[in-house]
Amino acid sequence: MHEVFKRKAQRGAVRALAVALLMSAGAGAASAQDKPTVSMAINQSPWLNSFVAMVDQYEKETGNVVELDVSPFGGLLEKIRNSVRASEGSYDIVNVNSLWLSEIYSGGFLAPLADIKADYKLAEGVLSYGNTTNWDSSALTFSADGALLGVPVNGNVQVLYYNTEIYDRLGLQPPKTWEELAANAKKIQEGGENYGFVPRSARDSIVYNFTPYVFSHDAAFFRISGPNEAEVVINSPEGLKALETYVGIATEAGPPGPGNIAQGELIQLIATGKGGQAIAVIAAWGQLQDPNSSRVVGKINAALLPAGPGGTVASSAGHWVAGIPKNVAPEKQEAALAFLDWFAQKQQQVEYVRAGGVPVRGDITSADLGDDAAFGFIEAYSENAQHAVMGLPFANAAEASDAMALSFNRAVIGELTPTQALNQAAADLAGVLERAGFKVSRLPDL
Amino acid sequence: MAAHHTEIKARRNRRWIIFSLLPAATLFIVLTAFPVINLLGLSFFHVEWREGAAQFSLVGLDNFTRLFTQEDIFWAGVRNNIIFAVVAVSCQMVLGFSMALAVKTAGSRGRAALTGIFLLPIIVPPIVIGTMWRLIMGREFGLANTVLGLVGLGPVDWLGNPDLALASVIFVDVWHWTPFVFLLMLAGLESLDGEVLEAARIDTSGRWQQIRHVVLPMMMPTIVITLLFRVILSFKVFDEVYLLTSGGPGTATEVVNFSIYRTFFRQDQVGYGAAMSVVTLFSITLVIILARAFVQRRAARRQAAA
Repeated sequence: MHEVFKRKAQRGAVRALAVALLMSAGAGAASAQDKPTVSMAINQSPWLNSFVAMVDQYEKETGNVVELDVSPFGGLLEKIRNSVRASEGSYDIVNVNSLWLSEIYSGGFLAPLADIKADYKLAEGVLSYGNTTNWDSSALTFSADGALLGVPVNGNVQVLYYNTEIYDRLGLQPPKTWEELAANAKKIQEGGENYGFVPRSARDSIVYNFTPYVFSHDAAFFRISGPNEAEVVINSPEGLKALETYVGIATEAGPPGPGNIAQGELIQLIATGKGGQAIAVIAAWGQLQDPNSSRVVGKINAALLPAGPGGTVASSAGHWVAGIPKNVAPEKQEAALAFLDWFAQKQQQVEYVRAGGVPVRGDITSADLGDDAAFGFIEAYSENAQHAVMGLPFANAAEASDAMALSFNRAVIGELTPTQALNQAAADLAGVLERAGFKVSRLPDL
Repeated sequence: MAAHHTEIKARRNRRWIIFSLLPAATLFIVLTAFPVINLLGLSFFHVEWREGAAQFSLVGLDNFTRLFTQEDIFWAGVRNNIIFAVVAVSCQMVLGFSMALAVKTAGSRGRAALTGIFLLPIIVPPIVIGTMWRLIMGREFGLANTVLGLVGLGPVDWLGNPDLALASVIFVDVWHWTPFVFLLMLAGLESLDGEVLEAARIDTSGRWQQIRHVVLPMMMPTIVITLLFRVILSFKVFDEVYLLTSGGPGTATEVVNFSIYRTFFRQDQVGYGAAMSVVTLFSITLVIILARAFVQRRAARRQAAA
């Protein structure tokens, strides 16, 4: 992969030289490089090739060059931290995962896009995934009223995957509520051949996966109750109902040992046809439809996540947002924004989906893409993206997530009751919020 | 006059010793002592990034107080690490020593073959080991359960069952690190005096007596050094846990290094992470000092008795 990018960089250099020669000859003005080369820190991912295709297209159309520095997921955060914290940044664009957004935003490392280009706003139709493109530095949280700090580059929300072959055999309908999901799961499990539902309950990712249950039950982890004031509300009756639902589905109609099922195991169980349904990120769609890695090609469908008792739907945001650091030259910032703005336009986004990417717009439909089963995810994706939520919208989100994860995971493996788990999680979350400078109140223990 | 010359010579010698040691000592301070001092300093601070700049707030002993009064996961890691060190290192010592004895007594062809086979796990990169064993121990499609299924057993949830997960990680560590013990033990056995071993073979009534009364006492320095190495390395276990279980389910496989990694890098709590590191570093150092003192005192007592 590195070789590919080295070749790409060389190609870029050769192209830049050729463009320079053409310019000096007074020709090729339409595709001449008129902006400096920008570098972007990005993660190795299933959708990387589709992004590379868009970069190639941008370079062809504009003559401007975007160099990608590709890192594995685990190493990218450290690269971004090192770059944005230095006096002079190594990257003109940093691709930030939703998990890290609050840390990078609150650190004050990114330039507000309106400072780079006056009055810049996201193009109509581009999703903000629960306002995660904007940061309110006075309230220290995501907010539509805050400064625009990034442009989404890959939409990744959760959807409900279900195996249509199993559904058809048992005469099931896609569930609209958690009760219906649990009922379907039990019917599948009773068949004895498949697991009714595959939960992603490993400690590292359980908070992310529990989040849609929480918000669809009209609960929350905490609420901002005033300037620098927070109220921990996860241990509410609604929160308890959410955790009971989560634990019930995970333990009664799923594989044994759910406490160690991470994303890899989940996709494996669905891709082999062993799992009847699961909630997972839309990025898994490609793998499930790839004949080289899936036995259920053409048998998997995606749907909107089930609603809670009040009809609320929520999907955890797991998208990527590209930000432009303050510590790079203004002309580089302008060049970076020009590329990101081009990328977010509808025409480019349709091409992006065709190349295998997940769009960052909510207005792309099957009508734009044609009748191809490969794009069968688009409606479910758009629906879920409209309900995207960030469970822990504050700077210490990673610490809070790790602190609560242990309690939820222990509830799944039976070491704690849901009530005990919620009380412990509430206490741990309150501690994290206090250390983050909030004046904290919390509901009495359940 | 002669005494004066001797004194000058001794002074020159001292200077030479100091100057010759200076580069190494400087390097040691820069590469070892400085990071530790820096870590210790950091443990008294809370570090936050605002407006693109780091803000250091002196919090005194707050990080340590929090570690000793509010922390659960780190101490679960300490408990697991102690179990890990005792069980894994014991198994590795017994197996490594037995394997070294087997190779020592084997013929030349068998020796080459056994050494090659025994050393294989240590040359496999840790990332490959983690991935390989995760595939082997997978509940649904793992090789271990496939084999068990052939004889009508299982499936066993090696990594997902909280009662089994730590044992599974220990098993992988034993598989990985026994060759290291084997190698040191074999080197120790090769360096034993052949004449003493020959005399022991004649004077003792059986192989077990020979090992117990002659080989083991002669191997004691090698055994102690190897044990020390392995105990230290077992407290540094990270890759196997990271790749196999990520510390779960619950805190079943949490280890100290994983807690520090999560706190320092994932959560970016450098002050608190530094406090965890300092406590770990000084605890291990204390254990090593006490163990060394115990061994030295015992050796001195034996010498005095002799």
